[in-house]
Amino acid sequence: MRNTLSKIAFILVIAMLVLSACAPKTPVATEAPETEAPPTEVVATEAPATEAPATEVPAEQFVFGMILVGPYNDHGWSQAHYEAGKYVEELTGAKMIYLENVYDGSPDHPGTTTSQLGEELVAQGAKLVIFNSDAHQEEAIKFAEENPEVKTILASGDSAWKEGKNFKEIPNLVNIMGGMEYGKMMAGCAAALSTTSGQIGYLGPLINDETRRYASSAYLGAKYCWTEYLGRDAAELKFKVTWIGFWFNIPGFTSDPTQVANDFINQGYDVIISGIDTTEGLTEAKKSTAAGKQVWAVPYDYIGSCEEGAEVCLGVPYFNWGPSYLVNIKAAMDGTFAAHFELNNPDWADINNKDVSAVGFVKGAALNADAAAKLDEFIAALAGGLNLWKGPLNLQDGTEYLADGVEATLQQIWYLPQLLEGMEGQSVSE
Amino acid sequence: MKVELRGIHKYFGKNHANDDINLTIPSGTIQGILGENGAGKSTLMKILSGYFHADQGEILLDGKPVKIASPAAALQAGVGMLHQDPLDFPPMRIIDNFLLRTSGDFFPNRKHAAQDINLLMKEFGFSLDPESYVDSLTVGERQQLEIMRLLFLGARVFILDEPTTGISAAQKAKLFETLKKFPEQAITAIFVSHKLEDVEKLCDRVAVLRQGKLVGQMEREQGKPFDNKKLVKMMFGKEAPLAPRQAYSQEGSVLRLNDVSVEDARLKIRNVNFEARAGEVIGLAGMEGSGQGVFLRACAGLIRTVGGTVQVKEKDLTGKSYHVYKNNGVEFLPAARLEEGLVPGLSLTEHFQLAEKAEGLFIKQDVGVKLAQERIAAFNIKGTPVSAVESLSGGNQQRALLSLLRTPLSLVLIEHPTRGLDIESVIYIWSKLKERCKQGSAILFMSSDLDEILQYSDRILVFFNGKVSQPLDAEKTSVAKLGEMIGGRGWQEEPTA
Amino acid sequence: MKNTRISNFGFQILAVVLALVVTSLILIAAGANPLDAYKNIYAGSFGSFEKLSDVLVAWIPLLITVAGLLVTFSAGLWNIGVEGQIIMGGIATTWIVRLLQDTTTPPALTIALAILAGMIGGALWAALAGALKTFGGVNEIFGGLGLNFVATAATIWLIFGPWKRPGVASIAGTEAFNESVWLPTMGDTRLSLWALGLAIVSIMIVYFLLQGTYIGLRLKAVGKNPKAAYLLGVPTWQYSMMAFMLCGAFAGLAGAMQVMAVYHRLIGSISSGYGFLGLLVAMLVNYQVIWSVPVALFFAALNIGGIQLPIILKLDSSITGILQGTLVLFVLMMEGVRQRFMKRAGEKQ
Repeated sequence: MRNTLSKIAFILVIAMLVLSACAPKTPVATEAPETEAPPTEVVATEAPATEAPATEVPAEQFVFGMILVGPYNDHGWSQAHYEAGKYVEELTGAKMIYLENVYDGSPDHPGTTTSQLGEELVAQGAKLVIFNSDAHQEEAIKFAEENPEVKTILASGDSAWKEGKNFKEIPNLVNIMGGMEYGKMMAGCAAALSTTSGQIGYLGPLINDETRRYASSAYLGAKYCWTEYLGRDAAELKFKVTWIGFWFNIPGFTSDPTQVANDFINQGYDVIISGIDTTEGLTEAKKSTAAGKQVWAVPYDYIGSCEEGAEVCLGVPYFNWGPSYLVNIKAAMDGTFAAHFELNNPDWADINNKDVSAVGFVKGAALNADAAAKLDEFIAALAGGLNLWKGPLNLQDGTEYLADGVEATLQQIWYLPQLLEGMEGQSVSE
Repeated sequence: MKVELRGIHKYFGKNHANDDINLTIPSGTIQGILGENGAGKSTLMKILSGYFHADQGEILLDGKPVKIASPAAALQAGVGMLHQDPLDFPPMRIIDNFLLRTSGDFFPNRKHAAQDINLLMKEFGFSLDPESYVDSLTVGERQQLEIMRLLFLGARVFILDEPTTGISAAQKAKLFETLKKFPEQAITAIFVSHKLEDVEKLCDRVAVLRQGKLVGQMEREQGKPFDNKKLVKMMFGKEAPLAPRQAYSQEGSVLRLNDVSVEDARLKIRNVNFEARAGEVIGLAGMEGSGQGVFLRACAGLIRTVGGTVQVKEKDLTGKSYHVYKNNGVEFLPAARLEEGLVPGLSLTEHFQLAEKAEGLFIKQDVGVKLAQERIAAFNIKGTPVSAVESLSGGNQQRALLSLLRTPLSLVLIEHPTRGLDIESVIYIWSKLKERCKQGSAILFMSSDLDEILQYSDRILVFFNGKVSQPLDAEKTSVAKLGEMIGGRGWQEEPTA
Repeated sequence: MKNTRISNFGFQILAVVLALVVTSLILIAAGANPLDAYKNIYAGSFGSFEKLSDVLVAWIPLLITVAGLLVTFSAGLWNIGVEGQIIMGGIATTWIVRLLQDTTTPPALTIALAILAGMIGGALWAALAGALKTFGGVNEIFGGLGLNFVATAATIWLIFGPWKRPGVASIAGTEAFNESVWLPTMGDTRLSLWALGLAIVSIMIVYFLLQGTYIGLRLKAVGKNPKAAYLLGVPTWQYSMMAFMLCGAFAGLAGAMQVMAVYHRLIGSISSGYGFLGLLVAMLVNYQVIWSVPVALFFAALNIGGIQLPIILKLDSSITGILQGTLVLFVLMMEGVRQRFMKRAGEKQ
């Protein structure tokens, strides 16, 4: 008896080990927190270096490292960063090394810390390390402080923003973020123009300033297009946010996004906007549609996300980190790298210009021609100065956020304390 | 089936366990193999049944040389072994046990098997319920089960290793009756024992082993008994003396039971009143499972009494745990030495360290080793302080168990003190126990060997189906009388006392 | 006797070789050169002082966990619940730090109390598994598994609930502690000599406990034969319970080290799988306390050295987990083969 139990126990232990070794595969990309976007252009605490003269070729190959929160091929957040790294490699001849699935407590790297893994990249020659997630904020700061000779980029984060709440003077740390508020507005607009039930589900990651702000931007875009282009009553639009607890699914720790997506579908939501790093929303919409129940999805982060389910994809707002990484890595190569905070909005001349625009939107195959035309109209309006972050706007609990006619400051948007009135879902105020 | 063993040699390290054994057993006979423990009987039988491989020599069955590579091969050749400890699967039903060890279909046919079992049972007069669980069976019943199974699998040679150990007199009678039917069917039985008396009753021929060698054979002459003296001499190289009966009964109550009732799943013992005096030996007689085991454990606090009071040296210990009893000078020695009495994997020294009262936190190794050496010498244990207990032979394990008893003790409770031991060990162990009596300990012991009970007890309690007799004076009773009583006859009154 | 030892050693070597062969085959299947992989693992673990210090950082909680598990193993208990006990240790430690870090309590006292709380937390959680076994008849394997889930759930609840960061709901963890209550580290490294000292003291305590004390002897007796131990006067269930609680205290200490010396906050998977890894190490060393020191170091080195694989060879770092698992499998298997072999050899003699 004892013996048998020992055997069972042994098998269990091995199984656990194998599971814990394999589980990490599931997570996918993360998301970057912060940046904000709408109103302004680049907010730099220190002037970003301009392009270095291309003639200077470093004696030895410049190596930069990338710490990815998810897998490099997650069709989402991390892949967008990875491909930006490839873009830089191509244009500069620098070499990228990287580690995937990095966050404190990741089963891929048990017992290690994110800054420790950053140092592993330095040990392999990296002179600059990019941390690609909000989940890395504290560890990236620690890393930058402990390795002053290494240039550090945190894609997300606000510690380099002098006007931000969390400013900390660190000479070798740069914060980069894209102005995804615009992308989210486009996503919301596409969703509102397509929904037949008037119910939009937002598959939220964890809750923080960034995610509240993006979910609210999507809502603002949806509300605008719903009322302005379809002439419907804002009260008829249902917009619900469900958070899973992290940037992607960590089995056993977060809610399962597949489950959340299905709950939306079962409750009659027919568009799922993804706020997470991975594509479960799209995948579930595709399954539901194939089963006869039409559901659309708007994925997120990566230009190629729609591939996973083109027939139900309304389009994808994505980050294009390449141009900004290029500038900063070149600056590191020629010694002009300096701490600053940058928030890069879409290039309104062509939001999908991959050499310039930090944020873009690709329309999906499932977006009908009429809606596509209206979405173009919306994008043009945004380019023309339309500001949806403008009063009157109330917070979710009914308190006034912006008085009539007042435009939000960048700080007000960035540190949005709650979701907006008219949205369902948890806010977690401070 | 005729069995021939030719020039069998077997070594364990330096130990020459079988030294050129030549033995021919005609078909359809009951062959006794006698010898004290360690004489090489079991080794020889294990070679014949495929558990060991002989280093030299050959085996012939019905004149044909065979190679017996494993127990399964032995069984295929027709040789089945009934072990000292039956190798069945206790938590299963009899019928499943049966099915499990028959090769054949993936989906066993329960109905068919049940019929077969019933048929066999009828033939041999066994009465077991195929649907009952094996662990609810007595040792004797398990033995019957094993015999049926081997017959069922086609065994033509039966090896029985100490089969009368641990079974009741009635079951023994039944076993012998069964074995006596074997010759009619040309089945050969090899009966391994150290008990002269059993061999005497049962066997046609007998071979005696001593220190690995075959030292003599004897054939029963028609109608005449074996020459016992000669056999004893062959076994031991000398005649074994039986210690004279000694009584050390003293004044003073050690154990007093007032209206004690005990129950277990199978039987109830009601309202026992009994007193044991210092220095007294009380034998508990009864067929296996008649209540004596439960009674013994209840006297140690290992089973809760459901009524009445238990006093040890006038102190009321009713309902207390064994450890409280132990602190009051009571110790219990179980029959299952390696299962309950000793800790396999620990050395003799470690056992003494465990058994003695700990002084301080840290173990003083030298003290422990010294103690172990003393006890090993005092109890004549063949082992060293670092020997793991499981490496000792049965007799030495029993001596080790006995050597663990603390001093002083008021009451020693023993299950089967000498089961499976050779005569020399039996005598030695009882001499040690009697020393305890001299020091004022009372001893309660149970045994299925009525001779042992009669020989060593001062008074005897007989158990039958949960009923307890009045104490009998050992001097004034006999094996015959005890035999009747454990079988449920000859009780003067409806005994509740 | 001498022969036995040599053959024993030979079988162990064979087991290691087989584990390496299997892992190499997997590496080859993954398109990598096994030699390169092993070289990188070595360089990534013992290649420099910094790497070595990182290995020691991982070694500390693993060794402390193994120390605890050796106690329960000796008592014949499969304390699968050790993961949960590490987690509870981490939770209790975090609780005390959160309670005291912003008060006037001296940081050193806060640290000491927090570590103590971790040990108590782990011990109590283990006591629960022990009580389930002793009084509820729930086998410790199943009880432990259940309690592991509960401990994880408690972590999640705390991180999303009472201990969430202001305005944030993320499994990433609670707010980092004030730096004043971090365990000080040596030079530029991440290694805390305090933590290292505690790990060494832990394994020494267990060594002396099991080798030289009555408590250790009784635990072994209970582990090998509880019935006989009881008859010999050992209060068996109390000793089982004590084994659980001792192991839990060590596991809790490991959790406290994870919180105080590594992450400085409570994260979702604070145990880092050291409980299960510790079970593997304890099985591998087969009750020999001394051996747990190098074996745990080796396993920690695999964890740290394995980081090189994805960076340089683009391999999954979990390959080192495969090496760890196959190693245990083969060592256990070889032990079985050896016993059979010795038995046969014994018969032949």
